Amino acid sequence: MNYVELALDTAKSLGADYADIRIQKAQTERIILRNLSLKDTSLNELYGYGIRVFKNGAWGFAHSNVFSKDAVVDTVKKAYSIAEESQRLPHGDGLKLAHERGYIDTYKTDFEIDPFTVPLSEKVGMMLEVNRTLMNYEAIQQAIFMLECRKDEKKFGSTLGSRLDITTVYLEPMFQATAVTKEDSQSRTFTEGGKATGWEYINSLDLKSKAEKVAEEAIMKVNADTLGEEKRRDLILDPIHMSLTMHESVGHPTELDRVLGWEADFAGISFATPEKLGKFQYGSEIVNFMANNTLEGGLATAGYDDDGVPNQKWYIVKNGVLNEYGTTRSTAPIIGKKMSRGCNRATNYYDFPINRIPNLYLEPGKEKLTPQELISNTKDAVYIEGRGSFSIDQHRVNFQFGGDMFWEIKNGKKVRPLKKVLYKSNNPEFWGSVDAICDERFFRTMGITNCGKGQPGQRGRMTHGGATARFRNIRVGGSQ
Amino acid sequence: MRNKMKKTGEFIQKKCQADDYVLRISRNKKLHTRFAQNAITQHIDGENLQIKLKVAFDNKTGSASVNQTDDDSLKKLINTAEAMAKINKPDPEFVSSEKEHNLIELEEPAAATTELKVKKIVNDIKNCIENAKKKEAKLSGISQKKINEVYLKTKNGFEGYDESATFSHSMTIKKENVETKVSRSVRDYTNFSMQEMIDKLNEQFYSLQEPRKMDKGRISVIMRPLAFLSWLYYLMWTFRMREADEGLNPYTDQIGKQFFGKAFTLCSTTSDSQLSTPRFYGNGIPAKNIDWIKNGVIKNMQTSRYYAREKGIEPAGIYNFLVEGGDSKEEEMMQKVERGIILNNLWYIRPVDMKSGEWTGLTRDGVLYFEDGKVRNSVYNFRWNEILHDVTKRILALGPALPVEHNAKIPTVLFDNFNFVDVTTF
Repeated sequence: MNYVELALDTAKSLGADYADIRIQKAQTERIILRNLSLKDTSLNELYGYGIRVFKNGAWGFAHSNVFSKDAVVDTVKKAYSIAEESQRLPHGDGLKLAHERGYIDTYKTDFEIDPFTVPLSEKVGMMLEVNRTLMNYEAIQQAIFMLECRKDEKKFGSTLGSRLDITTVYLEPMFQATAVTKEDSQSRTFTEGGKATGWEYINSLDLKSKAEKVAEEAIMKVNADTLGEEKRRDLILDPIHMSLTMHESVGHPTELDRVLGWEADFAGISFATPEKLGKFQYGSEIVNFMANNTLEGGLATAGYDDDGVPNQKWYIVKNGVLNEYGTTRSTAPIIGKKMSRGCNRATNYYDFPINRIPNLYLEPGKEKLTPQELISNTKDAVYIEGRGSFSIDQHRVNFQFGGDMFWEIKNGKKVRPLKKVLYKSNNPEFWGSVDAICDERFFRTMGITNCGKGQPGQRGRMTHGGATARFRNIRVGGSQ
Repeated sequence: MRNKMKKTGEFIQKKCQADDYVLRISRNKKLHTRFAQNAITQHIDGENLQIKLKVAFDNKTGSASVNQTDDDSLKKLINTAEAMAKINKPDPEFVSSEKEHNLIELEEPAAATTELKVKKIVNDIKNCIENAKKKEAKLSGISQKKINEVYLKTKNGFEGYDESATFSHSMTIKKENVETKVSRSVRDYTNFSMQEMIDKLNEQFYSLQEPRKMDKGRISVIMRPLAFLSWLYYLMWTFRMREADEGLNPYTDQIGKQFFGKAFTLCSTTSDSQLSTPRFYGNGIPAKNIDWIKNGVIKNMQTSRYYAREKGIEPAGIYNFLVEGGDSKEEEMMQKVERGIILNNLWYIRPVDMKSGEWTGLTRDGVLYFEDGKVRNSVYNFRWNEILHDVTKRILALGPALPVEHNAKIPTVLFDNFNFVDVTTF
């Protein structure tokens, strides 16, 4: 039975203005190791389909895990029926969908070794070795290693004529060591987030030597000084750290659904409203944020989004000025855009696709500059590596961030490690203070696999990146 | 569905060759009606199923899950979990599955909730939106109906089934710089009044005007129940015995000691008819009354089955929240201190330092300044950095515990010297 055709024919016969179906099989392998004990070794499969029906400017969505003619027809009817209920409270005169055409295409993540073909014993063996390396240090009380591999096989069909076969794969290794003394405990983590690639990525990482560094720095950190009173200082941020900062303070504020107030009750709204497009100085002139859903290894790279819109590349912030948003077929026309930027994504078959952050990165500096040269040219700063505490208001203006590892910079030198460092800033002060970005040789990416958004909540995925950058005159201090 | 789940259990029992297993089947039927800017933006109807099997050969474990119920899928489930266990490394912290337990009896889910129709939900949302339109304001929120079933069976004789239904509604009204929110969830829809929600929203809305900027610093705070509940969620997240013993959280060597403020008492209970209670949780831990903190003394901490075995105690997890209230009204709280802040909600709470228990977050959904017993004006939002347990030592007054969510009864609380470290730009 061709369920795609059945669903779309049924939707058309009911009178849908537009409909699509996503048949999705998701496999997730998860291994969690804590202090040499396996807390989870699981292989989970989700298989089902979600059907969207658009009628008179309103959406209905229904999903099912039952594959039969009757179940598919019933699910379309359910989606149609609640679309009719949605029409009773329409958005203005009803939503319009951005123009799009149908595509017949396939997309597959580029990888050499399918992570699902690597034996569990090899994965666990590698993780145990890392765990043992961490626990060889007497002060390390807790050693955690989490590995997640996921494969999504998706068939998408729409009444526009699209028939897409999309297979994406990613894997995400993360390990952490926590050092404990009588007075304190502090952690250090290795992560580059998720990467859309194969097991060859794990083989390239040299995790054992990374584990030694992580353990040594955790011990260094627990014995480190705190910074003391908050005062204005310079910051040097590594790309892994910056990935979270840009996610929260640039990615989310430029999701058009949030700008339009569609997330007002939960995740919040955005200060970056449409009248600011082309005018608002979001950052200094060297700040360019590129949205790129064609990025190799990017977690949002999938050929097409769940509206059936092809992946694209565009500037969100150009030469420091707010340039454009991440949009969907439902949101783009509301601000007068004819086409969507292809940012509508759902996590599982039962999720309604929502406006998501694309792969988004800070373009490297154009002048040759190494992180070491940047530090050498800095008088009084804190250098932050990795991700730590993070919190931002519901308009995406004011924020406070911590980090994973901190170093005091004095007169061009890393003089001592620090712990419990926090900085506070806001938009546009923060990105406006950037005065140096290292060049493309130092560009690194960080894939986010757990971006919580929506009601019911979904775990979104996208990749961020950048090269080490300097921020001038930011409020930096120690925690209590 | 219960019989179908039982039948799946029998299939697994018959086919699974492992030394031990835990089978968990969960089914959720959900209807979500999401609205924003006075219109429905998302409307979802569907059912999710997860069949999860964890098996063990000696102390080597593997687990798998599927969402299909045909025999081939179930065989694949068993084969996958068993194959993983066979090639896995031994788990030194393995604990065999639960034996048979006597579980508490619970009422059937309320028919008023399970039979609630989409038309009625949309009608109610329409009324809420009409109310917002009269104020030239925009309304956003969600109504959700959920019916959940869980079936758990183990090789060692545990068999349990649990069914529950809830209805929840939240809405945020926004007009220019005034925004505020109400939310509520119930087990029995007959205990839910949309008109009461609208009245509460209106009351909060009219209490807020154009906010004024106020300096950061330490000041008394009246934290309303929704705000206090979000505080408690994070407090309990790290309230774990093993991590305490390993020196990872602030509770090291503190069990049985006065570590929280004397006015603070928190428990999970099966005996309050207004609170949702599961019959069991985790991998077959029967729900029973648990005192977590009594008059500031730590009585129990969350403990896994493995760590409970090591310590010779019973495993424990938080399944609902009951904070002992007092009899103070909000007006009386305002009289107790010279000046202070009233908080409707907190936002984006994250850890700053796990060992000291320091967390950060912001205020949200309307902040009021009071002085000499009277509300004076709205103020901009604040960022706070606080040591969560330490704040309970600064409780000056508690209101009566109110059912704010189906699994939480929480009072309004007056804290002294709350640490606001920054002011936002709105």
